[in-house]
Amino acid sequence: MDHKLDDPDIQEQEIDIKEKVKRKSNLGRIIKYFGFRLLALFITVVIAIYILILIANMGGAVDNIRMGQIRESVGMTMMGMSSEMAEWPLERRREFEQTLVDQEIERLGLDQPFIIRSFYYLWDAITLDLGRAERMTSDAGSRRVQLIILERLPPTLMLMMSYFLLMFFMALFFALFLSRRYGSKLDRMVVLLAPSSAAPGWFYGIFLILIFAVVLGWLPYGGMVEAPPPRETHLYALSVIRHLILPVASLIMGAFFINVYNWRTFFLIYSSEDYVEMAKAKGLTDRSIERKYILRPTLPPIITSFALSMIVMWMGAVILEQIFNWPGLGRMLFEAIGLFDVPVIVGGNVIYAYLLAATVFVLDIIYAVLDPRVKVGIGSGGDD
Amino acid sequence: MAQDNLLVVENMHLYFKTRNGIVQAVDNVSFNLERGKSMVIVGESGCGKTSLGRAILRLLPENVCRYDGRCLLNGEDIMELSDEDFRKKIRWKKAALVPQSSMNSLNPVIKVSEQVAEPVLLHSLVDDKDEALKRAAAAFKKVGIPVDFLGRYPFELSGGMRQRVAIATSLITDPDFIVLDEPTSALDVLTQANIMNVLTRLKQQIDISFILITHDVSTSSEIADMAAIMYAGQIVEFTDARTFFGKPLHPYSERLMESVPTLEADDKLGYIPGQPPSLINPPTGCRFADRCNERFELCSQDPPEFVVEGGRMVKCWLYKESGERYVS
Repeated sequence: MDHKLDDPDIQEQEIDIKEKVKRKSNLGRIIKYFGFRLLALFITVVIAIYILILIANMGGAVDNIRMGQIRESVGMTMMGMSSEMAEWPLERRREFEQTLVDQEIERLGLDQPFIIRSFYYLWDAITLDLGRAERMTSDAGSRRVQLIILERLPPTLMLMMSYFLLMFFMALFFALFLSRRYGSKLDRMVVLLAPSSAAPGWFYGIFLILIFAVVLGWLPYGGMVEAPPPRETHLYALSVIRHLILPVASLIMGAFFINVYNWRTFFLIYSSEDYVEMAKAKGLTDRSIERKYILRPTLPPIITSFALSMIVMWMGAVILEQIFNWPGLGRMLFEAIGLFDVPVIVGGNVIYAYLLAATVFVLDIIYAVLDPRVKVGIGSGGDD
Repeated sequence: MAQDNLLVVENMHLYFKTRNGIVQAVDNVSFNLERGKSMVIVGESGCGKTSLGRAILRLLPENVCRYDGRCLLNGEDIMELSDEDFRKKIRWKKAALVPQSSMNSLNPVIKVSEQVAEPVLLHSLVDDKDEALKRAAAAFKKVGIPVDFLGRYPFELSGGMRQRVAIATSLITDPDFIVLDEPTSALDVLTQANIMNVLTRLKQQIDISFILITHDVSTSSEIADMAAIMYAGQIVEFTDARTFFGKPLHPYSERLMESVPTLEADDKLGYIPGQPPSLINPPTGCRFADRCNERFELCSQDPPEFVVEGGRMVKCWLYKESGERYVS
């Protein structure tokens, strides 16, 4: 018997089949969906920053400290003013001092209640008008927090992106490889090594510096580029890569085995699904079974678990950057805390909030691409 | 033999290694299936039905420790093919599968159309994707799914629809036979009836053999031409279905049929006391002896396969003498 089309109905439908298979993707709905996601993330960021402002100002208690500081500095300034002021009666001096203090308070906007000011601060933070640093300067000499951060952002992004990409693909393929050799010696070794990820990356970084920089001398101790920096672009890039090796390696060491262990388990769970057996019965090669029937359906949960670890990593980089003398955001934050440079601390945290939101947004997009359950939900607006 | 055999299985063994010992899931099973006929394999859970299906399709788990016997498909011993040859020549081209729980038989992240059309593309039975999609559409029509379901993802289909998709997938390459491993066990009765109707219709319309594995005796009677009763890894009775459902021979088959609810029956349903023996170190004699109410001395020895009137095979000492019951 033939499966070819002997039914006139089917002949008619032939034309539509292709169209029907290509489910119409409604661009407007996709934009609407991501618009909503973006809005939700933005609201989250706003709330986070506002809480940060409340905490950094101790809910307004910092005002009292600043008032005291102003009064003190005004007093100091007056002492430095003309000597005849010393002959003024106390009353007049007090009065003059008060005018100066009031002027200063008004200039700084402290005459308004904290609650109102907190919203001004919020607006400034959201629009990335981060004010001026009290002590720190950018390498170019500016005191504007925005410029300091802009200078420090690229090294951090470079470090983290190299780590994320390397880690993701290495761990993914190693996990897939292990799931094929479930129960082998290598597999059991990885299971045994999984607790090694209890220690953070910087912990391993210390040992890596000891081994590869101190004892063997193969790689630099820290920093991002040689001093003086090479003039040619390719040499510069090469130098940066040499400096990247140790920090990235220690980040990977801090999370590799636990991720491999996790993902291998995901693969094992998903490879015992019925559709994998069905694919085998269909006569697919082992490689296409692995790619299409094991890797594809497993990616969404893997991306989720990786996303969670990524979010933690943004923060974990603070100490690592300090250890490797990496001129990034983490080290800036570390220095700012040491110097009590509040605007920089607040500014750094605002940037972190934005980075987190951006990460989540990118993952939303990746997720929608990978998982049709999400994609269809977007495409049909949930009326399916 | 003059008859045209589609599938001949001889002395099939499939043993698994487990921590507790070796499980003799399929133990020396032989049967033959004529071309154009369908058979049903009936038995309790854990009696090796599914393993037999797997053994025929060479879908083996990791822990296999014995897998041998002969399995002739159209006269060619497919057990001797290399894995690669088996994959290219037999898988889905000759032998397709509708798995146990079709709820999970579809990959959740790939469109139904692609999964249904996959085998024809894979085995280069058609030239391009359009052709494959047409075939998929035709298969969908056959099992009664609207053609526009092709563009859907599995999670957008109900259980019954997914089951139909699985059946459509198994039809698409025009295989010689299809192993249906409990195709209705996860569905509600109405959907079960629907699926069974689809299968019955297909059987009348196209020239295909079903090997239906089930524990549900009542639904299988419409489809099967032959019935194989499995108990503890062995086939204890192999007969044409009509006579079997009328008059089972083996004591186990009798008890099994008594346990099927019927509308007329006003007394209590029959049941078999005890449970099937463990397939690790099964009893040496007749494996059913412990639960059999007709056992006698001979039952401590392994019964051979007696052929009684009408070519019916029964593995029970009661039929030692020319097909008549020895003791009654």
